[in-house]
Amino acid sequence: MSAPPIKLSVRNVTKTFRVRKGSDTSLLNVLRNVNFDVRQGEIVSLIGESGCGKTTLLRIVQGLIRLDSGDLLIDGAAVKRSGRDRGFVFQQASLLPWRTARQNVEFGLELQGMPKQARADRAMQLLELVSLAHAADQFPHQMSGGMQQRIGLARALAIDPAILLMDEPFSALDAQTREVLQTELMRIHAQTAKTTLFVTHDLDEAIFLSDRVVVLAARPGRVKKIIDIPFAHPRPELTALRGDPAFQAIRAEIWSLISTPPVAVAA
Amino acid sequence: MTTLSFADPMGSDMSENRIASDPAPIDDADARLEEIGPPPRARSKAWIVRLASIVVVVGAWEIFGRQVNPLFMSSPSAIATAAVRLIADGELFEALKSSLWTLLVGFITASAIGVVLGLLIGRYKTMDAATDWLVNALYSTPLIAIMPLVILWFGLGDAAKLFIVCILAVFPVLINTAAGVRNVPTQLIDVSAAFAANERQVFLKIIVPATLPYIMTGLRLGIGRSIIGMVVAEFFTAITGLGAMIVKYGNQYDTAAMFVPILVLMFLGIGLTTLLKRAEEHFAPWRGQED
Repeated sequence: MSAPPIKLSVRNVTKTFRVRKGSDTSLLNVLRNVNFDVRQGEIVSLIGESGCGKTTLLRIVQGLIRLDSGDLLIDGAAVKRSGRDRGFVFQQASLLPWRTARQNVEFGLELQGMPKQARADRAMQLLELVSLAHAADQFPHQMSGGMQQRIGLARALAIDPAILLMDEPFSALDAQTREVLQTELMRIHAQTAKTTLFVTHDLDEAIFLSDRVVVLAARPGRVKKIIDIPFAHPRPELTALRGDPAFQAIRAEIWSLISTPPVAVAA
Repeated sequence: MTTLSFADPMGSDMSENRIASDPAPIDDADARLEEIGPPPRARSKAWIVRLASIVVVVGAWEIFGRQVNPLFMSSPSAIATAAVRLIADGELFEALKSSLWTLLVGFITASAIGVVLGLLIGRYKTMDAATDWLVNALYSTPLIAIMPLVILWFGLGDAAKLFIVCILAVFPVLINTAAGVRNVPTQLIDVSAAFAANERQVFLKIIVPATLPYIMTGLRLGIGRSIIGMVVAEFFTAITGLGAMIVKYGNQYDTAAMFVPILVLMFLGIGLTTLLKRAEEHFAPWRGQED
């Protein structure tokens, strides 16, 4: 069986910010020559300690931040700007508070100019996919954090993007809700086979969800190692997987890669 | 919609306590949790106290008012008698009609101008830089002071009144709208960017709805200033309206009759402000639960 085609290529991506502190300015090199590929249908996680630029990288892929140099290729073609071929799930669900769940899911479709009835139907399909059809007419302030995040996922999937980008989507949730949503995401991925780039700082989450984990080093952010996760789909529950010695070995490896040696702290 | 008193302080936090794996939606958005205990009586009790307070204050006014020279002070009963007379001969109604026309036309014009300019100033830095000094200067100036000048420009007719109502109301609307635009959460702007919205879509689908609560606050503050502008304009032009009626009966030393339009203005102010306050809550039910 040949490997599926490469969907997203990140090539030599470099980003430097100017930091202004009072009248002083300094340069902060956030990302340096980052390279990796995401194949069709894969879930790839970006993991690293805080400050490694993983969120910046994801926002660059979406086109929310411009890159200084390097290339982003989707299906081999360079992309420069934000587009509806990528769907973004935010860390804070960032739903529009004046819209119901269904209207929030419709947001991207509305911008595309899809007719009213068609987008209502599509939104209902997605609400069913994220198991929230019953909450279609609720407003975000009436929903729990977990529900809001599901709506955020449905909103991103509604525009049927080529690539799904998720920025620590479960990090603000309590542990129990987080595990439920991780399992949900796996189920949804099995149904949609969406190519997914997932940012997280949670080791277990990265291993449980991903086909591959890209470990980033900090200051400047660069790829330290790309690790293949061998567990076959569908995977057992995270709690069961944690007991697997292979899981523990991978976890120990990633941990040793991202924990900062004391020398680097002094520098 | 059972909202009795003694609401459990945890009630508003219900959504936080729910477990997402088992979403149990509250069907009624306005439902609140309450403790099960002795039947709550605080609500009716508050009304009894309020009613008693009204009786005491109005009663004291009546007793005190009867003892002083009717030139300086009037009593509720004398005012009521005057009100019946002014309503019967149609004078009050005519004045109210004239005042309301000035107020509403002036206020609606001011609102339209204030909202449009506020949206542009809040969104575009160039617009802001070009106008902020002027807006701040004019907002801080008690613009009532230019009334004599306005009469020189527009004469004693409706144009002068409309102008002063409008210019007083426009700044709170404009400033609140612009502040609302500046306070649109960055995350929401990010959402529109991520979904590749164009500038028009960002404006109509993010900025305007997100700013609506601020606009409503601006309108509520604007209506108060509009009423002040209307009365002062009518004092100066002294031809029609509730303000002119106050001047007329003041000059005739008919203090009881003078109180009638004052009370009408009070009720007008309370009514319109309450109406806009309701509208504010209606347009932003999510506010107050998020921040």
